[in-house]
Amino acid sequence: MSRRPSARRAPAGARGLSVGLIALLVALVATIQIRSQAEVERSLVGVDSTSLAFLIDDLHRANESLEAEKADLARRRATLQSGQTGAADQVLRDEAERLRAIEGLVPVQGPGVVMVIDASGLTALDLQDALNNLSAAGAEAIDVNGHRVVTGVPVAQTTNGVAVDGNVIVSPWTISVIGDSNRLAQVADLMTQQLRADRRVRGASYRVETDVVISSLISEKPFVYALPG
Amino acid sequence: MSTRGLGILAVALVALATGFVLADQVRTQLLTPSNQLARYQALVRSVQDLETTNADQRRQIADLRNQIDSLESDAAGRSATTQSLRNQVADLRAHAGLVAVHGPGVEVVLRNGSPGPGSGGQTGYLVNFQDVQDVVNLLFTQGAEAIAVNGRRITPLTAFSGSEGQIVIDQGPPLTSPLKIDAIGDRNRMAAALNDDSALPGLRARQVQFQLHLTFEGLADISLPAYDSSLQIPHVAAA
Repeated sequence: MSRRPSARRAPAGARGLSVGLIALLVALVATIQIRSQAEVERSLVGVDSTSLAFLIDDLHRANESLEAEKADLARRRATLQSGQTGAADQVLRDEAERLRAIEGLVPVQGPGVVMVIDASGLTALDLQDALNNLSAAGAEAIDVNGHRVVTGVPVAQTTNGVAVDGNVIVSPWTISVIGDSNRLAQVADLMTQQLRADRRVRGASYRVETDVVISSLISEKPFVYALPG
Repeated sequence: MSTRGLGILAVALVALATGFVLADQVRTQLLTPSNQLARYQALVRSVQDLETTNADQRRQIADLRNQIDSLESDAAGRSATTQSLRNQVADLRAHAGLVAVHGPGVEVVLRNGSPGPGSGGQTGYLVNFQDVQDVVNLLFTQGAEAIAVNGRRITPLTAFSGSEGQIVIDQGPPLTSPLKIDAIGDRNRMAAALNDDSALPGLRARQVQFQLHLTFEGLADISLPAYDSSLQIPHVAAA
């Protein structure tokens, strides 16, 4: 029986080495792939890129508002620090006027939109959502059928329908809003489109106005339970 | 062809295929996730940077309001008229959420449930901004005088927004579960409303479907911080 010459044993070893290298490469590829996927998945927990992009947009807008507030407060501080006669009184009067407008205690006017929704069967939740959408679009003053609304004014479902601060409002709902007309119009447009697709809604429209006048007022309610400090 | 030749050919083919796989892997499977990851991380970094700026600005606003209050206090000490104006503004500030307050009330906790099948299963288990908005509205309807969500004070201009389990309130950073809603007011009245099965229908349905958590307790004294963001109304003028 002849033995294979030793020179012929080398290719067999080389083949084994090749197979080993291939296996190594396959393992390497698989490992890197699995790790890459795991890393992506771990970092994507919770929020997708689109939501992050929206979040960035919201934060930019928020920070701009905060910057404006900071500048306004710095101006007020400078006025107070000036020590001029009546400076503090003027700062306080200006702030009182602004806060009364924010809290719905005085009539106001300005640019904005007026929405009209003619429907039957809409609920307090529908009105709350509509008001929140408008607030999120920068509404600075709102009136619904002659009733002033700010966050905190009760919008409730009653047996007679939807009530704003205890007053039942009947269809059609006319929602007058003061704020940035462009932002408000964009949201009003989306809202009316959605409302028109709702079977309960007979009609939904909006118009942009250069001067919306809101004369309705909220009656002041002193705190009973909340104490400063 | 000899058996050995066939073996070498097979090894070569396998090596070639592996090479293709490796090249394809590098081109499409490794680089793409890397780029996706890099883009995603860039977005996350942007959010983090903006949140840091946001927190700094809110801190500065709170500081400025404290300094203004102190300067006004000094001025009021020198003038009865100024003192009278300051008292008026103090009440208005309290109602606008610009003053820290405390008193009896309820604390509501909302917590994400578990993902489940069926409609809305993808996100239905997450607490969303509408849930928070509904609870806040319910509490206001029951006479709440002051409310804060995770320490963010609700004001007359407050708006809720967000997506996929993130809740954005006014100019603050996004909040996520658990959400703690503190309300000062008549705690018996607010607790009765929270116990009413007909209230908060959307939340109650998801409590059953996704085990979303809604709990509350009455407390003798809750402290709410002052609002620390913007209350600008640039488009409003006195009528």
